[in-house]
Amino acid sequence: MTVWKQFATLGLMVPLLAGAIDAQAQDQSKTLVVAVPSDPVALEPGTNKAEPIGSEIILNVFDTLVAWTAPDFTKVEGRLADTWTVSADGKEFDFKLRPGVKFHDGTDFDAAAVKFSLERTKKSNSYVQATFGLISDIAVVSPTEVKISLAQPYPAFLSILAQPQAAIVSPAAVQKFGDSFAKNPVGTGPFVFKSAQADTNVILDANPSYFRGAPKLSRIVYRVIPDASTRRLELENGGVDVVQQQGQLSAIAAEDIASLKKNKDVQVLEASSQIIRQLEFNNSKKDGPFADVRVRKAIASAIDYDGLLAGVFGGTAERVYGPLTTNSWAFDPKVKELAPKYDPDLAKKLLQEAGVDPTSLSIKLYSFQGPLWGAVATFVQANLADIGINATIEQTEFPAYRTLQTAGQFDVALDGRQPWYNDPDAHITIGYLSSLANTAMTFRMPEDKDLDALILKAQQTADMETRKKLYFTVQEEIMKRVPGAYLFSPKLIVYARSNVKGLVINSAPPLNEYWSVSKG
Amino acid sequence: MLNFLLRRLIGLIPVLSIVLVIAFSLVRLIPGDPAVTLLGPGATSEQIAALRAQLHLDRPVFLQFTDYLVGLAHGDLGLSLKSGEPVLREILARLPATIELSVLAVLVAILVGIPLGVLSAVKANTLFDHTLRVVSLMGVSMPAFLLALVLQLIFATHLGWLPVSGRLDAYLTVEPITGFIILDSLIAGNPAAALSGLAHLVLPVTVLALFLAATLARFVRNTMLEVMGEDFIRTATAKGLHRHQVVLKHGLLNSLMPALTVIGLKFAEMLGGAILTETVFSWPGIGRYMFEAIKNRDYPVIQGTTLVFALLFVTTSIIVDLLYGVLDPRIRRRMD
Repeated sequence: MTVWKQFATLGLMVPLLAGAIDAQAQDQSKTLVVAVPSDPVALEPGTNKAEPIGSEIILNVFDTLVAWTAPDFTKVEGRLADTWTVSADGKEFDFKLRPGVKFHDGTDFDAAAVKFSLERTKKSNSYVQATFGLISDIAVVSPTEVKISLAQPYPAFLSILAQPQAAIVSPAAVQKFGDSFAKNPVGTGPFVFKSAQADTNVILDANPSYFRGAPKLSRIVYRVIPDASTRRLELENGGVDVVQQQGQLSAIAAEDIASLKKNKDVQVLEASSQIIRQLEFNNSKKDGPFADVRVRKAIASAIDYDGLLAGVFGGTAERVYGPLTTNSWAFDPKVKELAPKYDPDLAKKLLQEAGVDPTSLSIKLYSFQGPLWGAVATFVQANLADIGINATIEQTEFPAYRTLQTAGQFDVALDGRQPWYNDPDAHITIGYLSSLANTAMTFRMPEDKDLDALILKAQQTADMETRKKLYFTVQEEIMKRVPGAYLFSPKLIVYARSNVKGLVINSAPPLNEYWSVSKG
Repeated sequence: MLNFLLRRLIGLIPVLSIVLVIAFSLVRLIPGDPAVTLLGPGATSEQIAALRAQLHLDRPVFLQFTDYLVGLAHGDLGLSLKSGEPVLREILARLPATIELSVLAVLVAILVGIPLGVLSAVKANTLFDHTLRVVSLMGVSMPAFLLALVLQLIFATHLGWLPVSGRLDAYLTVEPITGFIILDSLIAGNPAAALSGLAHLVLPVTVLALFLAATLARFVRNTMLEVMGEDFIRTATAKGLHRHQVVLKHGLLNSLMPALTVIGLKFAEMLGGAILTETVFSWPGIGRYMFEAIKNRDYPVIQGTTLVFALLFVTTSIIVDLLYGVLDPRIRRRMD
């Protein structure tokens, strides 16, 4: 029976081990453990392609010239820039920089560093080619003043400068580390990069001489936990302090959120996002039933939008009416009236008018994988069945799905758009400009000179009031074409242990800043 | 025996070549473009085309294959499409974690499975035997992720004895030297980290070992029962040998040969199971690395990890063959 004795000894040892470890752990009250699903891809602005984990770490290690102001993110504030002016034609941006700021390696931050960083990103980062490509010149006026000139007016440029790709790097460190700068990122931010271990963690230490004041935490540990249910268990057990649902595709089921809300050790922080999820048509297709706007409108009228929010999301998503979310400064209130209402009778009538027999329509409803998308697809499928349309759900793995979409091999698909910068341009131009139809993340709009011209005009108009009005018209024009049925906007949900205080959740893109965070 | 080993090693070349060709072509047959996946939302067709060219994905597949072979001949497994790092370096960084987990699991499975199988055979058709048979049936049939979740809920959430996942407490740090966390902690003179590393091993090792232990227990029980009915056992008992001598020396030793085959075969299955176990327990090993690579369509990484798994598999089978020779003099003679 020695085996049983061994088991018994093991059983006794385990709690002792756990106790010993607790006794040795240090600095827990000043160390924040953040769960992330995978390793960051590019930890520096010159190569970052808006991958969320790398982007968030960049925002905590580096600073940008400007940033959106919490909590509603409708105004831009200065970070490394103290003040700035924009020329009347919207082509010149003149920044007065904050003096006395130092990089983590001890070198000075100045106008030359701004020029160096932005020119470097422009050259090396293909992801921001379209926007950084507009920069025609960066002039160092003095060590604390820099002037950026654009080839054409682009009012969203300030938004672009608030992005991780536009963060300012230490020129001395870039020279020192060369190609391995991403492994040794050096910025001016509240945290200093310490180490990264593949598939395990990324560790940042506080920068005590940060120009906005030293952070309250002494360390951040990003723990890589790929499995969603493991992340939840770790949060409940206190193994991690913060879990961010990396918005996009890995949202967890509403039941889980409900049960976490009941847990007094956990706080569920919610914020409105600018993410839009929709049922979209392959608008480039000239044949087939969906080429007829009446059929598209019939489908859009068949969906019970409020039922979807209540039944599938339990309060974790918000209604979206058109091409922009209601929290965007350019949202046109008229869109609320223009949006199709849930009306199965109207849907049937529209199909009849179009001469389409619903029972002859057998559609494949493409969707992403995962239980949440499965639930959305099932809900839509049931709505379509109510008006006599038979839809089969095809939940498809992400890479295969994207290939299918860029190749235009679908009629109807569930999809989503997460803007990577805070400006209507991020939704409208990428989504609806017909010249971009064959790229990923678009509505595959057919050639449409009037709409295209309007979109580009709205993108480039410097005067904000005129620009807003132009976006109103753009939205109304898009609504007329019914390129899809706008389903919902998921809230940004961050789970934190209840002792975590002062977390700022950015809305576009959804990245957290930890400078102001403390553990009570 | 040396001759035998040499023959087996030469035999590896065609096996690994076939694996390589299959892996290379299969990854390119799964739908999905790595460039599209890597660039994520909002990438234009130009951006995608530029990245494809940069990654040499626009070259004909045949040329990609010859490039890969030339690299391989120089010990170069290519660069990961996702991280841009050499695949070999990334695999070597993760190999210790997988070895630590799987070798320990095999040891635990042997130490638990074989004695339980013997006991079960000796006490055939008693309550102990029946209970063990039911429990081992559960062990064989329960999926690894479910078992992992159950153990995490019991030992981490409810009892609070063990950590949920990971290799080390997040508040502790150990410089990787060998890659084996307990060894590295001891080298660094950090007993707290060593204990934490040990505590983090318990659940994943148990999950991985249970399947093999249960299979072994059932297998050893059945072979033992068969062997114990043989004539030589009756002779040994008639000679007046002690019961435990009969059971251990004559019975067990003769049941070990088939058990060895099972261990060899199931070890390979266990490596497959490591993909799930490593994901659920956030274990930074090769299985999880491969799983992520498949999701990202990281071709060189999928090829590299497939090759490593194939290599581990055939190495195990060679070791098992050699052990046959060690355990059975008849086979040893034939090998020579």
